[in-house]
Amino acid sequence: MYCENCKERPASVILKQESMEGSVERHLCEKCAFHSQTFQFDPSHEPLSIQQFLAHWFGGADPFIAPQQKKEIPKGPECPECHLTFSKFLEIGKFGCATCYDSFRALLPRVLGKLHNGHSAHIGKVPESFSGLYAIKRKLEEIRVKMQEAVEAERFEEAAELRDEANRLKERLDSGGGEYNVN
Amino acid sequence: MSIEKFMQNAVTGWMAAHGEHSDIVLSTRIRLARNLRGYRFPIAFTEKEAVEIDRSIANVLLDEEENGYSYMRMSDLPALERQVLVEKHLISPQLTNPAKHGAVILSKDETVSVMVNEEDHIRIQCIYPGLQLEDAYEQANQVDNFLENQLPYAFDEEFGFLTSCPSNTGTGMRASVMMHLPALTITKQIDRIIPAISRLGMVVRGSYGEGSEAPGNVYQVSNQTTLGKTEQDILADLGNITSRLIAHERKSRELLLAKSRIALEDRLFRSLGTISYARLLPTGEAARCLSDVRLGIDLGIIQNIHMSILNELMIFMQPGFLQQYAGTELTQEERDIFRAKLFRGRLNQEKEYASTEKGNEEE
Repeated sequence: MYCENCKERPASVILKQESMEGSVERHLCEKCAFHSQTFQFDPSHEPLSIQQFLAHWFGGADPFIAPQQKKEIPKGPECPECHLTFSKFLEIGKFGCATCYDSFRALLPRVLGKLHNGHSAHIGKVPESFSGLYAIKRKLEEIRVKMQEAVEAERFEEAAELRDEANRLKERLDSGGGEYNVN
Repeated sequence: MSIEKFMQNAVTGWMAAHGEHSDIVLSTRIRLARNLRGYRFPIAFTEKEAVEIDRSIANVLLDEEENGYSYMRMSDLPALERQVLVEKHLISPQLTNPAKHGAVILSKDETVSVMVNEEDHIRIQCIYPGLQLEDAYEQANQVDNFLENQLPYAFDEEFGFLTSCPSNTGTGMRASVMMHLPALTITKQIDRIIPAISRLGMVVRGSYGEGSEAPGNVYQVSNQTTLGKTEQDILADLGNITSRLIAHERKSRELLLAKSRIALEDRLFRSLGTISYARLLPTGEAARCLSDVRLGIDLGIIQNIHMSILNELMIFMQPGFLQQYAGTELTQEERDIFRAKLFRGRLNQEKEYASTEKGNEEE
């Protein structure tokens, strides 16, 4: 079989290119394989592409090792929403959807830490709708504790009032926390 | 089209050359990456998802009246117009692929641009002239809150804003300043400064390309990490580094003047001569001369030319703009001819301003 690209030299390398759409196999000679896409990076990417970076740190595909020497690495968990596997994520350096973060949660602190100077937890802005929900959840906890105390102290009237308030909060929580005033 | 008319239509807010430290900092940019809950990221989404995302974001922003947003779908724009938007820094090259259902929503004064279906569903970007990190962030944050009020964001208690690329996870914020650093470059100090800055979690790169080479001595400094730091800390750190670079640059300029004034003046005036009279002006030479002329203006060596010349011509000398100015497609040599013509035209404009001002003074 001859190289698909130059059609001059015998094909000695099978190049498997995988993308989100599926995988394509190309039979190339060594020379063409060397010059083929595996060794070129999209110029729109950052100088040290994140794919290279992740692959380097996590023993995934190293772009500087010829493809036939590629080590098989375990696929790891798979995202139920977009079917991205963890190993694939390391290879392409991108998440497929928000659910990926949940699916790979336990493995992510290490990945994110490498990219963010050892940090893997967000301490910046929290969107209003989320902070609203948190506030309701926290308040609900508080009321439950108070209610327990009231019941134990046999202050049933107060406990009933607290129960009504808790129910109102729960309704708001179910409807997405809309008009609840955080303060 | 006359050059005056062309420029009037093409100049965008951040090119105005005002704002703090505008002799060294050309512009400040804040970018926020956001995604909607319930849709896969652009790398994996279906066409149906793409269309729905596009529609819901456009609906929210086009209802807003204060900023006067207008909407442009990439697939509706001719290639040249897309390129011009890239050259004005209003969209990224990645967005221009017309097959990806990308769109941009621009505020009337072009300081706010919201890219739809780029690498993330939403990319909010604000560009201000000079060094204005706080103001630019405030503006971006307002747009963010406005969108967040009406659309469900993908957010996680532990990881923050969820983005397609793990290098943006957390705040999703990239803050950057574009700086003109000719003296640090001439004295080669920049080669030592760049590695030092990258140890502080910031990146420095040439603003035209992504490599370390910086044509026109224009560099972009931005934060590298987006997790484990608040937005305010990121802005403060970047502001700190920027101030230090400004101080270094000013000192180097003084040093250059003190040590080799004649040699420096010679170089700057030769560059002014080149852009005033050249008939063929390749990109590299144009960028280098423009940087020299701007340095000459900043140092008071070259007079009667406004400092916005660098900000404007740096953008207008790019292929897309040249072709728009020419009104036709151009080969590389033709571009060099048009670039020379554009530069001469712009400098003539300056001379006219200068002589009318003089005339007014005499009256």
